[in-house]
Amino acid sequence: MARLEDIPEPTRTAVREIPCPAFETTPFVTGPRLSERRVAIVSSAALIHRGDKPFDFGSGECRAVPSSWDTSDILMSHVSINHDRNGYRRDLNVLYPIDRLRELAEEGVIGSVADTHYTVMGSTDPAAMVDAANSIANALHADLVNAIVLCPV
Amino acid sequence: MLEERGLPTTVLALVLPQVEKTRPPRAVMTPFMLGRPLGEPNDPAFQRRVLMQALGLLERTNGPVILEHFPDDNPSWFDRPDWVPAVTLPAPGNPVTSQEWQAALQAELALVFPVWERFKARFGRTTVGLSGQPPEAWPGFATAFLDGELPTVPAHATPALALRFLSDDLKALYSEAVQADGGPPSARQIDGWFWRQTVAGQLLIALRKTAMASENNALKTVGGRFFVPAPFVPA
Repeated sequence: MARLEDIPEPTRTAVREIPCPAFETTPFVTGPRLSERRVAIVSSAALIHRGDKPFDFGSGECRAVPSSWDTSDILMSHVSINHDRNGYRRDLNVLYPIDRLRELAEEGVIGSVADTHYTVMGSTDPAAMVDAANSIANALHADLVNAIVLCPV
Repeated sequence: MLEERGLPTTVLALVLPQVEKTRPPRAVMTPFMLGRPLGEPNDPAFQRRVLMQALGLLERTNGPVILEHFPDDNPSWFDRPDWVPAVTLPAPGNPVTSQEWQAALQAELALVFPVWERFKARFGRTTVGLSGQPPEAWPGFATAFLDGELPTVPAHATPALALRFLSDDLKALYSEAVQADGGPPSARQIDGWFWRQTVAGQLLIALRKTAMASENNALKTVGGRFFVPAPFVPA
């Protein structure tokens, strides 16, 4: 898909009707030009380092993904089987574009790549992720990040 | 949530109804499959186009809600009529007993392993690694469940999780091996091959049935929902 008509049932209905939070405000934070942005990725793929414990079912936790990790050691531990994984098997960047960000930084298109990125398990109730959002936000501010690419799977 | 905390965000979105409900500040709606927000593996130029469209929204000032659409399907969205699986396997047959399943999977894995090694050498990576046990142990471990046993491994808290992640490793190994040569086939081609033409796929379907009949509630739930995708569950 993600054209809805291409997702098989019952996943299609589940995806279409999944409860989503209705945010009361629409914050819009501006910043400098792209060439002055420090960019981080937040992935919902429940990424882990090879050998680490996979995310628990329904976990609202947030984990760090250091830029220093070799991409060949990063695994997707998301519980859902509704995601295509065949692309990710060949190339992690199809869901976690760390090499693309590095290239853009080397070319000066973006300012820099954050030292640490973050990951959660996307099928978890957003209400269970408030603590995770707070801890991610604090860590990103500390790393002077001023642009985040959200990569839901 | 992050924008509320003072951090500018941009989303590579995959599900339009969710974007319409949550109304993030900046989103690029893509037409790709769930699981691949950048679209095409091993295609840096394509991935860069997707990423740059999302990053470009960060310089816009006409918020608070900007939604754009990425215009193109990724190349391997389409089936490749000339695709030939890199692994040649005999028909899976009809194993019945756990011993027959174990022997059939061992024999099949012996054919898959060398091709998987070719994939690892070509791509410099493998996504096998969640099960907490080496591939040689998989046939005995998985088929024990067919006899009503509930084995586990130190890496996982329960037998249900151990089998869940072993099923992921099986899919990973086969998906990688079958892609060892040539350009990427479509995901549909890989999945169709795995679930219809391999012992491993047939075994996971059998394990799903066993799990759903189990008195172990965790195994029943996990087996019913997280082993076999809906399109390949037998009627």
